[in-house]
Amino acid sequence: MPLHLKLHTQPEVPLEADCICPDIVQSLKNNEITAMTVFHGNRQVELGEFFECNGSFDGEINIDGDLSNIKHVGASMSFGKITVEGNIGLHTGAGMRGGEIIIEGNASDWLAAEMQGGKIVVKGNAGHMTGSGYRGSAIGMQGGEIIVHGNVKNETGHVMRRGLIAVGGDSGDFTGVNMLAGTIIVLGRMGIRTGAGMKRGSIISFNKAKLLPTFSRNCEYQPSFIKFYVSYLEKNGFSIDSSYLNNSFERWSGDSVELNRGEILLSTNKSK
Amino acid sequence: MANENENIKIVKDATCTFCGCVCDDMELHVDLDEKRITKAKNACVLGRAWFAEHTIEDAPAAMIDGKEVTIEEAIEEAAQTLVKAKFPITYGLSDTTSEAQREAVAITDYIKGNIDTTTSVCHGPSGLAFQGVGESTSTLGEVKNRADLVIYWGGNPAESHPRHFGRYAVTPKGMFTPNGKKDRTVVLVDVRKTKSAGVADILIRPKPGKDFEILWALRALVKGNKLSANEGEWFWGVNIEEETGVSLETLTDLAERMKNCRFGVLFFGMGLTMTRGRHFNSGALLALATDLNKYTHFVAKPVRGHGNVTGADNVVAWQTGYPFGVNFSRGYPRFNPGEFTTVDTLSNGDADAALIIASDPGSNFPKKAIDHLKNIPVITLDTKSTVTSKLSHVAFKTATYGINTGGTVYRMDDVSITLRPAFESPFPDDETILKKIKKRVHELTLKKIHPGGASGEAKVAAVNPL
Repeated sequence: MPLHLKLHTQPEVPLEADCICPDIVQSLKNNEITAMTVFHGNRQVELGEFFECNGSFDGEINIDGDLSNIKHVGASMSFGKITVEGNIGLHTGAGMRGGEIIIEGNASDWLAAEMQGGKIVVKGNAGHMTGSGYRGSAIGMQGGEIIVHGNVKNETGHVMRRGLIAVGGDSGDFTGVNMLAGTIIVLGRMGIRTGAGMKRGSIISFNKAKLLPTFSRNCEYQPSFIKFYVSYLEKNGFSIDSSYLNNSFERWSGDSVELNRGEILLSTNKSK
Repeated sequence: MANENENIKIVKDATCTFCGCVCDDMELHVDLDEKRITKAKNACVLGRAWFAEHTIEDAPAAMIDGKEVTIEEAIEEAAQTLVKAKFPITYGLSDTTSEAQREAVAITDYIKGNIDTTTSVCHGPSGLAFQGVGESTSTLGEVKNRADLVIYWGGNPAESHPRHFGRYAVTPKGMFTPNGKKDRTVVLVDVRKTKSAGVADILIRPKPGKDFEILWALRALVKGNKLSANEGEWFWGVNIEEETGVSLETLTDLAERMKNCRFGVLFFGMGLTMTRGRHFNSGALLALATDLNKYTHFVAKPVRGHGNVTGADNVVAWQTGYPFGVNFSRGYPRFNPGEFTTVDTLSNGDADAALIIASDPGSNFPKKAIDHLKNIPVITLDTKSTVTSKLSHVAFKTATYGINTGGTVYRMDDVSITLRPAFESPFPDDETILKKIKKRVHELTLKKIHPGGASGEAKVAAVNPL
């Protein structure tokens, strides 16, 4: 039976609850869990002032309620599973190293920022800076998977180093900006300035996109690895039109003001 | 002078603190009887208005909820409000001295609040870009003495910084620019033809919101790369001229001029930082300046607005490690623009008290942010009655920096300049009020940590008698 946390009091100001993390709760009894310290603005209070705690931890934490004002849930977790039955606030899964987070609602900005491993699934939309680096960091996401069924906003995968970001809907501007390596797949439309300053890595979209003048077209081909990605994403609940499987892709390389080793693959014969 | 009998004082080499140029060659004629500046020699039209409008108004020095109180009562109320708050924010700071800014950082540290300056709504994106890309920089003195290619990007200095051309960058004669403007090529990149266009040798008018594409294309041209936009392939479906409004010839010419100048400078304004792309626009321009240093000496400088906004960046960075958008709620500074910048803390409804110093967010913030500001206790320090001071819980009226009080301000090129005040004001300055609030806040926070104990209130009071 999983540990069940239910929000009973909405915090007045943002609540920083980075203690909601399997690594921390694994060795605690329920009364110790409710006595864990969280930051309610600048006050240190007990988790129990906001959350009701039931069940017992068996590797899984289940959180319930409108959590859009709760930050840092699952930050730096390395194993186990967190299920969020609603929306969640900033920095969810930031720096996580392993395990899984499933968000039934929407996620906010800095979802899985500087993630190193593990998996995050968002059934709704995610915010800005999904899987990105924090300001001043040279390296962002370094591994793991982020799967967003809805849309994401700007700067998805900023300075990403490794891993996979898959977006079922649209992405905002600067998708994969300054990317070092890794893979970003956007099934919907991408905003402007995709891949600006990218060094290596792949950005794949099933729609046309406006590219910067520093990207150059290489060829049109049918990369076989796309089929593996498509079947993997279908396993993860994405519905992908089977016609995509046989689509050919335009390959563009860039960014020529940087290393020019990155690639943007754009599907040719289908546009929404 | 109209009247020989007037009690006139002349202040030489006074400093104008209206804009980021911080011109320190003013000659002020002060009527000490009427307590106003009658003449400001060397000042531009904005400077003259600044000096003329700051007279002594008859108004209460401190108010709580619109009722006049003593300054001590107001300080007590302000300190109590700030200490009670769970997410207090400090904002403004760009129109006050660096000494006062330092006190504001200390207060925010004690109350474990969130400090942000007006930088976050003007050149904040450039601050992010400096961190991400780096800055190739110089003082305005170097620009005056050496620059032979001056590029203004996304700004209208003729109207916002009228003396920028004459004093620093376009017409002054310098050591290696003995013929002034004749030795310089001036390029203006702006979506509109503004009054600044008159000084430009080359005027480039891109389509709005295309700065990033143009800068990126320039970076490629400087590096000698081909632009795919002109290969006629399936791309934007258009070439670079149709997309950005600037022809490839113009861009190539500009790239060549940039590579072949002796000392180039890119001044950039809010046309770049506050349009779509924001910090990436500034970052692209800074990266272009960095690229050009492979060929020649090239620098990039933001043209800053408020008199001491550069000082706000410097002081907050010196004290906390970060220039703006800094949060202390966990006891140590954390930097995250987008989360801890004031528009966000107000629009998201996070803040539960605000200390606003020399700024008027009530008149220029988004509606959602102003609505939240109306619902929380606000403490303002301002020289004038503003929209924000009218909605404040506690409002202090303070003396004007540079006119009534001395101190230090930073010019837009990070050069510190000492102020010479013209005449005294009956109102205390920001630094004095903030010091008192700091002291009271410190006492109250210590009292919270050591309630009633040996190191409690009595001991603190003995060390710091009010």
